[in-house]
Amino acid sequence: MHLQKCVSFFILKMIRLCMKRVESVNILEIQDLTKKFGDFIAVDHMSLSVAEGEIFGFLGSNGAGKSTTIHMITGLLRKNKGTIIVLGKNSEKSATFIKRNIGMVPQELAIYEDLTAYENVHFFAGLYGMRGKKLHERTVEALKFVGLEGKEKIYPRNFSGGMKRRLNIACAIAHRPKLIIMDEPTVGIDPQSRKYILDSVRKLNAMGCTIIYTSHYMEEVEEICTRIAIIDHGKIIAEGTKEQLKSLITDSKLIVVDVKSPEAVDLAAIQAIQGVSNVQLDDQTIQIHTELGVNNLNHLIAHFIQNGIEIRSLDEREPNLETVFLTLTGRNLRDA
Amino acid sequence: MQDIFWLMRKIFIETFRSKKNIILYLFFPLFGIAIAFIAFGQTHSQSLAVGIVNEDPGKITDETIDYLHTKTGIDVQALKRDKISEALTSGNVDAVITIEKGFAEGILRQHPGHITVVSIKGNSVTAMLKATLYQYMDNLVALSTAANGDAEQFTMMYEQYKQTEFGMQTTEMGDLSRQFNMTQTAIGFLIMIMMISASNLSEIILKEKQERTYYRLLASPITTKTYITANLLVNMIVMIIQFLLTLLILTGVFHINLGIPFWEICLVMLLFSIISVGLSLVIITFANSRSAVGALKNLIIIPTTMLSGCFWPYEIMPKVAQRIAEFLPQRWILKTLTQMQEGSAIENLYMNFLVLFAFALAFFLIAAYRFSRNNSTKNFI
Repeated sequence: MHLQKCVSFFILKMIRLCMKRVESVNILEIQDLTKKFGDFIAVDHMSLSVAEGEIFGFLGSNGAGKSTTIHMITGLLRKNKGTIIVLGKNSEKSATFIKRNIGMVPQELAIYEDLTAYENVHFFAGLYGMRGKKLHERTVEALKFVGLEGKEKIYPRNFSGGMKRRLNIACAIAHRPKLIIMDEPTVGIDPQSRKYILDSVRKLNAMGCTIIYTSHYMEEVEEICTRIAIIDHGKIIAEGTKEQLKSLITDSKLIVVDVKSPEAVDLAAIQAIQGVSNVQLDDQTIQIHTELGVNNLNHLIAHFIQNGIEIRSLDEREPNLETVFLTLTGRNLRDA
Repeated sequence: MQDIFWLMRKIFIETFRSKKNIILYLFFPLFGIAIAFIAFGQTHSQSLAVGIVNEDPGKITDETIDYLHTKTGIDVQALKRDKISEALTSGNVDAVITIEKGFAEGILRQHPGHITVVSIKGNSVTAMLKATLYQYMDNLVALSTAANGDAEQFTMMYEQYKQTEFGMQTTEMGDLSRQFNMTQTAIGFLIMIMMISASNLSEIILKEKQERTYYRLLASPITTKTYITANLLVNMIVMIIQFLLTLLILTGVFHINLGIPFWEICLVMLLFSIISVGLSLVIITFANSRSAVGALKNLIIIPTTMLSGCFWPYEIMPKVAQRIAEFLPQRWILKTLTQMQEGSAIENLYMNFLVLFAFALAFFLIAAYRFSRNNSTKNFI
């Protein structure tokens, strides 16, 4: 009987230990997180988790609550309700520990124009307690990582937009954080710098960093993120891998029509055609979301012909994240 | 503590990398010395121009004015009452003595009075003129007492007094008033520069907020308290360097007698540094942008410094302005320094120090309150 008790106790201990290990796999856990600004609810009872080693995409329109959530994770804002656990530590009890292990790449450039590239990274890395040779090595390493080697003595005011963005990243990674939060890191930069940054994100991830990535650019998120959450009005409305998210809208398809005179298109009339759930004009193309299983292609073509609108091309596309976002929120991400 | 030093190091590098800032923070305060030399540097070889407004004509008054004519270093000229301000502000006279109706009567009745002295050059000049006049008036009162108030007897005794021959040896004393005035002018200018410097350095907090580096700092293990402390310490260090440099150049290079022990004047200026930092924090907590800081600085620092008598003697300002000045910390600093120069012991000036501490405390409390409110709602969304 005594032996049986001992075995039960041992098994129970092992189960608890295993559970603890499973728990620790999540680098970030948010439960019931709420933030209000007066009557406005910026984050509304949000819960999510990010596993170690993930590149977690955070999608949402302006004012959806992404930055507010990020600022609460990094300790810049106080939450009204809920819990935030980073690396197994509660944000209220272990704020300093959490801050030491997070690297924040803010949406707006947060670098000193009056300090050189080296001095910028050196200063911010020094805030994490490093000094001397180690600090110097980490500074040089971070600058090299973002492709700014040889530009150490240059002031950021002489940098291009893309170089400034890369310096912005270097300042966040020199202390080798376990979790890196990137808030729109590629806004307003050239394609070459964007590619460099996306490659850097992948490299950081390969080196063991977990990354939370927010962007307006759906293709970026689709390209690099292993899991994605869509946030709207402070709530997570969908979460999963891109395949899982796309599978949410298997009941619709996208028809893209390229026309010669888009100004002549009557969107309301197209919307009225049977099966059409959403119509949008994007430059020269008309994006028509229609229900799957409804054969309305003939009606659509007839509408254009009857109205004297010349069709240049017509394409039926598979759903992508843009379609998912549009279907779930009723808005186009970039226009939102 | 290491974090504070790290932040201070950054602020120093960022601030003093610019040559403009080196000039503004380290060399500009010394302009006060130049201004003091222009204002007082050559007056020792010139006579004091004194205007006399005589509203009680008569023998005693005329004799008193004649007495002033006999004094070396004083040039007397007649003046009308309505021309006093014009003569003083234009610099035609350094001081004005107004002999009011009843002056002669007062002497005869052994109740001297009915005399006012104002000067653009401050207390030291009015004090010197009053001392000269009162010494003469005391002699007249003594004669009047001996004559039992009898006007005829007094005139007779006065004529004898004038003809009496005295053996007199004259020794020229060093004119410390000039040096004291120079110190006050240099300190007046220094006060303004210190307040501007404090605001500029506190403005760094606002700059960091606008350029978003402040939020990156706060996302690191640095706390708001650590950040503000580092900024305050840099601010204090810069101001200590400013007043030490000014005082050392005044005493060491120009050999000016400050009239106050060096450590005592440093103590007063240290107190003023704390007040300046407090005020600068209040300014930045009320401003939403750097341009607003500039506007508030212009609106607060320069007018209050002028009103406190940093650029001209407090005594020549209108009574209303003098009353307003009593509510300004700059006035209390100058008042304390003047009283120290006049010989008051530091322990007797506890009320002045209490008022100055109260200013510092009030500014820091307002700033702390405003900071706590500002930090509760930010444009994070």
